[in-house]
Amino acid sequence: MGIINRSKLSGWLDISQSVSGVVLAIFLWTHLILVSSILLGAEAMTWVAKTMELSFLTADGHGYPWVVTIIAMVIAVIALIHVLVAAHKMPLNLRQQRALKQQLNVVSHGDTRLWVWQAATGVVIFLLLPVHLWLIGAAPETIGPYGSADRIWQQGVWLLYLPLLLCVELHAAIGMYRVAVKWGAARDLNSRSRMKKIKSIISVIFILVGIASLLAFLPYANV
Amino acid sequence: MSQEAKKGRMLTFNIFRYDPQEPGDKPKMVKYQLEETPGMTVFIALNRLREEQDTSLQFDFVCRAGICGSCAMVINGFPTLACRTLTTKYPKGDIMLMPLPGFELIGDLSVNTGKFMRELAERLKLWLHPISDDIDVHRLEAPMDPAEAAKLYELERCVECGVCVSACATAQMRDTFVGAVGMMKLARFELDSRDGRELEDFYHVIGNQDGVFGCMTLLGCQDNCPKDLPHMQQIAYLRRKMAVTLV
Repeated sequence: MGIINRSKLSGWLDISQSVSGVVLAIFLWTHLILVSSILLGAEAMTWVAKTMELSFLTADGHGYPWVVTIIAMVIAVIALIHVLVAAHKMPLNLRQQRALKQQLNVVSHGDTRLWVWQAATGVVIFLLLPVHLWLIGAAPETIGPYGSADRIWQQGVWLLYLPLLLCVELHAAIGMYRVAVKWGAARDLNSRSRMKKIKSIISVIFILVGIASLLAFLPYANV
Repeated sequence: MSQEAKKGRMLTFNIFRYDPQEPGDKPKMVKYQLEETPGMTVFIALNRLREEQDTSLQFDFVCRAGICGSCAMVINGFPTLACRTLTTKYPKGDIMLMPLPGFELIGDLSVNTGKFMRELAERLKLWLHPISDDIDVHRLEAPMDPAEAAKLYELERCVECGVCVSACATAQMRDTFVGAVGMMKLARFELDSRDGRELEDFYHVIGNQDGVFGCMTLLGCQDNCPKDLPHMQQIAYLRRKMAVTLV
């Protein structure tokens, strides 16, 4: 017998979906706040980037850029777990997809449409996130106002970042709302609708901050 | 006031028609017009349509008071009880009626929810399993704590109309998914101090992807239940209880 009782596996899977999702969402929001340091100027962002590379541990202040690579790898593993578990809930065969389409046509329901958005953005993230993680994980030393600006605007990676930003901020906020409701954080319908409102506000704020940050890199490009 | 002014507005019903028993019949939407009367419900309108315009129209009803759960159907995109839906709710006067999805179609708006509910009850064992097998009719029953009784009563209000199953995209995608009605009823026995089943026994029937761990919290059940049962809280409660058995 393994560590996990086989009959308990579906329970563990559901919990790992919630836990991995929450961890990824918290990371995502922290990550965006750190990146948005560019809004305060090049110095602020350099400081954040260096601190993330643990520069305070080295005498010359260069730090260890591979720390970022390790973070990228850990996130990749958590995201992979999240994808594998969440895939159980997706309509994968044609019969299920037809049933879902039929359901959306016949029954009008907001939270179901919200889930369709979550599933669709999830697929987009599944395609785009590996590229982002590879770009960052393979060249951690380039993170900084000038290196990042060059990547985003000179090398055209904004074409990746913009859709990824939109999808991930929708997916994470909807997911956090769903996890909260799923495990019983909403005591009544009022607190549920309050949570739903907060979720939308979070999405909008982070998308705006993200776009502002992308634009803030513009002056540092072209050099 | 003239006779003309008293006339109600004209309602347009767009009704799904299909009789699986009739060879060669194809599913179609058929339009009917009916003058609105004061206090008219969709249920009253359907009876008048059948009486005055089309005797072949099939739909279910028994109590006309939201107690039997027979007249559930999809009204303008919302699964609900026809007898509790006033036609005045629709300012444009256009009412589209579809049978509840996810159930065997008997004909037109009539679906076989009974078959589904019976199979569900047998599968999940939705009846009281007394703590002791020793049955003695002469023994006095132990009194129940009023708070517990009130809690159970709240969940007992389910009329098995099938709306929660129809409103659930998960149930539509997975035939074997128990739906909110199954979890609601099981939660009721889990809360019942007279029931001898342990958490492990409940886990055995709903601790899987056809039960609480397959539910995606889309909350169609919660948002459409005509009896306003607390599906959201009950499913979350059951999920937490099942998660506790993991450790």
